[in-house]
Amino acid sequence: MTKDFPIPPVVFPTSGSSPATANVQQRRVPTAPYQPPRQSSASSSIPFIPFEIGSAAVSMPAGPFDGTIASSASFGRGVSASFEDEEPLLDELGIHPDQIWKKTRSILNPFRINQTVHKDSDLSGPIFLYLALCLFQLLAGKIQFGVILGWVVVSSIFLYIVFNMLAGRNGNLNLHTCTSLVGYSLLPVVILSAVSLFVPQGAGPVRFVLGAAFVLWATRACSNLVVSLADGGEEHRGLISYACFLIYTLFSLLVIF
Amino acid sequence: MYNNMGPQPGMPRPPGNPEPGPFGNPFTGAGSGFIRGGLGAYGERILGSSSEYVQSNISRYFSDPQYYFQVNDQYVRNKLKVVLFPFLHRGHWTRISEPVGGRLSYKPPIYDINAPDLYIPFMAFGTYVVLAGLSLGLNGKFTPEALNWLFVKGLVGWFLQVMLLKVTLLSLGSGEAPLLDIVAYGGYAFAGLCLAGFAKIMWGYSYYALMPWTCLCTGIFLVKTMKRVLFAEVRSYDSSKHHYLLLFLALVQFPLLIWLGNISVNWLL
Repeated sequence: MTKDFPIPPVVFPTSGSSPATANVQQRRVPTAPYQPPRQSSASSSIPFIPFEIGSAAVSMPAGPFDGTIASSASFGRGVSASFEDEEPLLDELGIHPDQIWKKTRSILNPFRINQTVHKDSDLSGPIFLYLALCLFQLLAGKIQFGVILGWVVVSSIFLYIVFNMLAGRNGNLNLHTCTSLVGYSLLPVVILSAVSLFVPQGAGPVRFVLGAAFVLWATRACSNLVVSLADGGEEHRGLISYACFLIYTLFSLLVIF
Repeated sequence: MYNNMGPQPGMPRPPGNPEPGPFGNPFTGAGSGFIRGGLGAYGERILGSSSEYVQSNISRYFSDPQYYFQVNDQYVRNKLKVVLFPFLHRGHWTRISEPVGGRLSYKPPIYDINAPDLYIPFMAFGTYVVLAGLSLGLNGKFTPEALNWLFVKGLVGWFLQVMLLKVTLLSLGSGEAPLLDIVAYGGYAFAGLCLAGFAKIMWGYSYYALMPWTCLCTGIFLVKTMKRVLFAEVRSYDSSKHHYLLLFLALVQFPLLIWLGNISVNWLL
């Protein structure tokens, strides 16, 4: 082995081209794979998987070359995001407690409702209010989770159709905003449900008066919000208010009886 | 030993390394591009054909729903007066027509008290459901299932009204009235029902006085409206046959409205 190793270079400078070519090939073949095996083994180990995932994700908008660079960059970002720039869990889920609180508090005032906070519609507050209403009904001995959810959905669709039909070509109320407003305006009904827990079942007139007051409150809140946030509803405020009145009267029937 | 080990592991390594690189990226890129382009073209084709199909059907069976919601507070109040007290309607019952593009069309409800709308029927139906729930609650029989059942009962009643009006028009030789017109005319019956239902909640005995009154008013309203519809649609006017059919139409209102006005979970009652 040792003797064979030094003999080819000795023959190379003295002899012709063919032995030199053979020697060069022999020498190159062992040398070239010597470094790539290390790189390939390193890349094929654990870190290779995230690289491929990153490159696969990024390569769709960009080419392979850009993908390669982007993959390493995205890998780096992933590492840094997991430690430093991680968003709060509620923000990632799209739930903003401060916004929900501001919206709820705006409806708590029955005489002056702030419409600006409701411009961004969300469904987290309505879901929370829906669960609260179901809970109070459960405390009153009524299991009405499915009924209330179904009625909320049907009511939103009903108000959405009525408003957009009345507003005509100018109507721009979308179903998401409509559901959000109907859900938030359910707050007076939730309060009515909580208050009704302390009113005896036999006191009919008291429950009716309470129900009427809270229904008017909810109707006023919902109609004001809908008319102010969507276009084309100002001239049909009375007609839209009546639709809202029907919706919240139905929910109050669930509470009163 | 070192020289012997070096080349042997190196030989299989080089062909293995470059394979996943060029193999994975082109496949992913080509696949995503193919999927995206195919879905786009196919989706556009589906949406285009479906929208054309829906539009053709809408124009064939329904007139513009927007027409029936061009209302304001004044129209609603006046229309309710006409529906609940038809004999006090001093004006004519003919709809105001305007020539548009060579085709005969009518003015929207906001300009014509005799034009049908869908806002009052929808609100009357909703009020009927709410009053039914209130009545059930006062009698101690309120459950969400019962209210859902009464909702279905109201829909069945509305459907029967529409069928009755449609069959009447067809048997009188006229089937050209738009379906939404018939739906609107049928829905006005709920306005009287709400009045009777409210009276029943206030004082039970007033129901027995108001219910026949409501049936009579609804019958009168429908007879006068159908007469105008027939006059607008039918050239020949066979007085005896038309009168009998219109009388039948008015008389059928009594059992139908009494059935709808009886708030109970029983099917036949």
